[in-house]
Amino acid sequence: MECNGCEFRAELYYDDQYQIWVRQEEDGSLTVGMTDISQTVAGKILHVRVRRPGTIRPVGKPVATIESGKWAGPVPNIFDCVIEEANLDVLEDPNLLNIEPYEAWIARVRPTESVAQALSVLVTGDAAKQGYCERTRREDIHCERGAR
Amino acid sequence: MAVVAVELIVTSHFPPVWRLLDTGVRRAAENMALNRALLEARQSDVAPNTIRFLGFEPSALLGFHQSAEQELDLDYCAANGVTVQRRITGGGAIYMDADQLGWELYVDRRALGLAEMSQIAEKICTAAATGLQQLGVNAQFRPRNDIEVEGRKLSGTGGAFDGEALMYQGTLLLRFDVEKMLRVLRIPAEKLADKAIASARDRVTSLAVLLDVVPERVAIIATLSKALANAFGVSLQAGELNAAEIGLYEAALKEIDHPDWVYGVSKPATDRPTVTAQRKFAGGTLRVNVAYDLPQQRLRQVWFSGDVFISPRRTLMDLESRLRDVLIGRMPVTVEDFFAERQVDALGITPQNIVELIQAALVDVPVI
Repeated sequence: MECNGCEFRAELYYDDQYQIWVRQEEDGSLTVGMTDISQTVAGKILHVRVRRPGTIRPVGKPVATIESGKWAGPVPNIFDCVIEEANLDVLEDPNLLNIEPYEAWIARVRPTESVAQALSVLVTGDAAKQGYCERTRREDIHCERGAR
Repeated sequence: MAVVAVELIVTSHFPPVWRLLDTGVRRAAENMALNRALLEARQSDVAPNTIRFLGFEPSALLGFHQSAEQELDLDYCAANGVTVQRRITGGGAIYMDADQLGWELYVDRRALGLAEMSQIAEKICTAAATGLQQLGVNAQFRPRNDIEVEGRKLSGTGGAFDGEALMYQGTLLLRFDVEKMLRVLRIPAEKLADKAIASARDRVTSLAVLLDVVPERVAIIATLSKALANAFGVSLQAGELNAAEIGLYEAALKEIDHPDWVYGVSKPATDRPTVTAQRKFAGGTLRVNVAYDLPQQRLRQVWFSGDVFISPRRTLMDLESRLRDVLIGRMPVTVEDFFAERQVDALGITPQNIVELIQAALVDVPVI
């Protein structure tokens, strides 16, 4: 489904500002990516840097950094985790984040506590849908894909 | 609640107060650590919205994701007392010394009323350009991030974000040591020094070039800060760093004043070749130098030169700006669109000629 043209996927988990999405994997890891809202706000993404596998990332220390135009900043991290893997396709072509934000994942991480603990600070389902749509309306964000 | 807050701001006779900071001339590492500290302090709401002015000892500043080997002549820097540092903002490498004045904003995104980063950059740059106009120069915002005077860059800018907090910074050229810049930065200029210098002077200007007398630093700060405050409907109050910021600064300096921070991004110079091509036309010779990003297949920087007649004169400089970071596959349509949008008198040189010239420069670059 969409709000203001911004795609929302009900099966994913989100931070309360809908900057990142998180997907639970069968092996106990979590996959992290940017939402359609985030890639639109950022504009054409030219660089992505993911911390090395094995790096511990506490809350507030970014899993990855991005650069668009001349803006640089973190892909925020809201639960303690260890980086397991970066998406090499995205490192090589960061623009994929603008084209398919929900397929172009950024990193796989393993939460330091349990998966349930990590997911407990995220929102999902109907509550997430409502918050996601509210943000697009409040900030008048209309999503566009594929800034190249 | 949000609606009530907006009404209060609109109807109040007392505009919000932002802090005005002047941290003087400092080492690059100290300035970068202050960038980090002030942005973090704004993000955690322990510091107010702030406008800061700053100065630098001689230094080469990399963009956040850049590699020193690709962007700088490190031997020259080491031999000439030019410190290498890494910004927390994006964009390209720059040379800084006492001839530039840095200006910065630290604000909560919600205070700006804009969501998209490109709109925020435009609003801040337009406000800064208004301030520069009041100093007597015809400064204008040029997308994406420059403030220019008749096609020549006077102030380059870039930003960093952390949650809802933003830091946006610019450098104002008071004077311009073109030879030093060409020595420090690996930019795709001509190899012949005199041509490179003339070519650089076509692209960059300074207050010293534009005005009979460069205003005093304090007068520039007063004019620029007033223009920025007016643009955002706020008043300014001079202040100092608070205790929380000093604590954050000391922690940031430990990380930033260290080779791991400066050289932690390492990409081989061979991944960013500089290539060139030249063609003769009825209106003269046109040459192009291209800094090319091989892994990403993007034009990083394009630099035209030669003696062709093109009017308006700034056309090729504006095209260089448009072509920055463009995928090579989208270069032809970008050039065609650029010329379709404006009236250009180019004595027999067509947009297709320019496309073919850039393609000729890249002919020996391997395709990944």
